[in-house]
Amino acid sequence: MAANATTNPSQLLPLELVDKCIGSRIHIVMKSDKEIVGTLLGFDDFVNMVLEDVTEFEITPEGRRITKLDQILLNGNNITMV
Amino acid sequence: MAGVGGGGGGGGAGKMADKEKKKKESILDLSKYIDKTIRVKFQGGREASGVLKGFDPLLNLVLDGTIEYMRDPDDQYKLTEDTRQLGLVVCRGTSVVLICPQDGMEAIPNPFIQQQDG
Repeated sequence: MAANATTNPSQLLPLELVDKCIGSRIHIVMKSDKEIVGTLLGFDDFVNMVLEDVTEFEITPEGRRITKLDQILLNGNNITMV
Repeated sequence: MAGVGGGGGGGGAGKMADKEKKKKESILDLSKYIDKTIRVKFQGGREASGVLKGFDPLLNLVLDGTIEYMRDPDDQYKLTEDTRQLGLVVCRGTSVVLICPQDGMEAIPNPFIQQQDG
């Protein structure tokens, strides 16, 4: 990958930054008006994420929706920002 | 016979060329945008701007000091409504639809308005 990508190796890779956040609380913004806040346990190449102690927010009606404990697997298809 | 040999050699060379063409090459060199403020638009109508800190070939981006703009039905394109400061974010390349520099753009009168002829 380093052979055909002319990127500067000393810059910050997005997936490296996500990796640094494992164990921290993170805020995930979906393509729709929904956001998820939780503790990041892990992620994969497709950026599907496993979160814990999760709170789900709907942005437009401005209300906290469901507080879900235990663990969830969040499908990476709809994630816009982390 | 010589033709068949030549054809075989040509086929082999073609296969090699195909393998080389399959290497991932970015059509957009983002390294020139590093440490510059860029504007990004997403699927779903979100827009964000921030300083590009990093990226990968899949177009995932790292933006710093990110400001997010959201559109509402009554918003149309008023960017000043509902902005949020997000700080350091990772933007998913799968939902990015547009990347452009934040400055260097100006509004122009609509070039598509046609005069009505009698």
